[in-house]
Amino acid sequence: MVIDDIRKTFINGEVKEEVLKGIHLSLKEGEVTALVGTSGSGKSTLLTIAAGLQSATGGKVLFEGENLAAMGSEQVRKIRASKFGFVFQFAHLVPFLTVEEQLLLMLDVSESVLKKEGRKQEVDLILGKVGIKHRRDAYPSSLSGGEKQRVAIARAIIHKPKVLFADEPTASLDSTRSKEVMSLIRDLTKSLNMTTLMVTHEEEMLSYADHIVKMSDGQVLQSKA
Amino acid sequence: MNMAWKEIRKNKARFSILGSIVFLVSLLTFIISGLANGLSQDNAALIKDLPNGHFYMNEEADETYNLSKIDSDIQEKILNEHQDAAALSIQMGFLYDEAGKQRSMAFVASTESMLFGQVKDGEIVLDRTLEDKGIKVGDTLTSSLYSGEFIVTGFVDQKKFSHAPVAYIHIENYKEMYRTNEMQLIFIPGADSLQEIPGLQSFSNKSFLNTIPSYSAEQMSLNMIIWFLVVISGLLFAIFFYMMNVQKMGLYGILKAIGVKTSALFKMMWTQMIVITALALVLSIMLSQAFNQFAPEGMPFHLTAGTTIQLSAVFLIIGFIGATLSGMQIKKAEPLQAIQQGEV
Repeated sequence: MVIDDIRKTFINGEVKEEVLKGIHLSLKEGEVTALVGTSGSGKSTLLTIAAGLQSATGGKVLFEGENLAAMGSEQVRKIRASKFGFVFQFAHLVPFLTVEEQLLLMLDVSESVLKKEGRKQEVDLILGKVGIKHRRDAYPSSLSGGEKQRVAIARAIIHKPKVLFADEPTASLDSTRSKEVMSLIRDLTKSLNMTTLMVTHEEEMLSYADHIVKMSDGQVLQSKA
Repeated sequence: MNMAWKEIRKNKARFSILGSIVFLVSLLTFIISGLANGLSQDNAALIKDLPNGHFYMNEEADETYNLSKIDSDIQEKILNEHQDAAALSIQMGFLYDEAGKQRSMAFVASTESMLFGQVKDGEIVLDRTLEDKGIKVGDTLTSSLYSGEFIVTGFVDQKKFSHAPVAYIHIENYKEMYRTNEMQLIFIPGADSLQEIPGLQSFSNKSFLNTIPSYSAEQMSLNMIIWFLVVISGLLFAIFFYMMNVQKMGLYGILKAIGVKTSALFKMMWTQMIVITALALVLSIMLSQAFNQFAPEGMPFHLTAGTTIQLSAVFLIIGFIGATLSGMQIKKAEPLQAIQQGEV
């Protein structure tokens, strides 16, 4: 994925606020790229534009050679469903689905070609990877914060996305759980050869990233491996 | 995956409340509809059971059949032109049974016709409800308007007019009782029987029903209650799904973010609406049909399968409209807003 000269301006009446001022980034497969910066630096806006959740004022998001910004909303939705995975600050699980059903839903949404048995095996595999196989029949209301975030990660990767977007994935977790979740994201990025773009404000979590992009005032201040 | 069903299963109480309200409203609607139909039968079975055709009454009768008098020359001309037509009169009155008990009747006399009961001079054929009240074939009945006695020669099923049992009498007996030589109405059966007859006003079977005193007032007020209930059920759906959708805006946003189609979210809501309505309707149909079978004797209750199916379809359509209107919020659910909010 290549982010090329992305700009974003919010217009509120006569007030124009330029939150992204021409960002260039190249995200590589098998790598975790962390966006860091102070609040209001534009890191979350950049992540949501890259994920096709909002449009940019200018620039391109090139994914598999195609510009996301030039696509129609249905085409972007299809890419989000089949090629992107999302982990948010909160797990945002569907309250009336069990852990297993959350993952099966994602396979439905991504229009997975797997048949019923294949889907079961895939769910088993992923739940094993995130370490919550024993909670497959539990509803979100009975899961701990860490377990919920693991389910959210499992849901984000079950359909083998090309890109994983993680917006403050550890913000609602304690230090131990945060490390577990970050370690999991890094390991899955490597083992599934995904491209991971993550927003975090926690310095401690940067050790799990391959590439750190520091942002300030809508610009890239520093980019280092 | 059937998310709609899974949500219903997980939130049984919430959906049961909606289901039970729809059940009660639809049951009430079926029962009132049964009563409306029953009263309609009780009021006008004599007319409703006739084949489609046209009634003719005197133009000067001001659309009131018992003020109508058909000129005998015109009557003869029409009856000669239409072999299946009949001239008839209907008059409310009383008869005394052998025990001297007074019975309210709708006396009907007609020229020779297959459509109305035919009796000989001095004979009378009664609606079967009177048989249930102890009158038998061979009994003699008297009237203060008639010099002779009527001998009961038979009974007919479901012949009521203006909430009174019909009594078919001979045309000559009618003329004596009501001191007239003219009939009130002419009925010509057949959908294409409408014709311009000078001095006469024509009415279809349906419009003739409205000339019966109290018929339209009775039916209009009951139908108004029925349609109010139908509208209320539509509003219930709209309000219930509106409240549910407001609560689920965050969830919809997240589902959209991960790639769920907006149309899939609408389908989920429609499925829930159909499941709840269908279950509620099945229950209320069963109960109302049981009521149809075991309604207290004397209660005019008549709920046909046709009316039940028609009302059920209306409930489903109105529920669909209500749910869809409230579901417009689904379109407004924003993934970004949902992500920035707390846990759904």
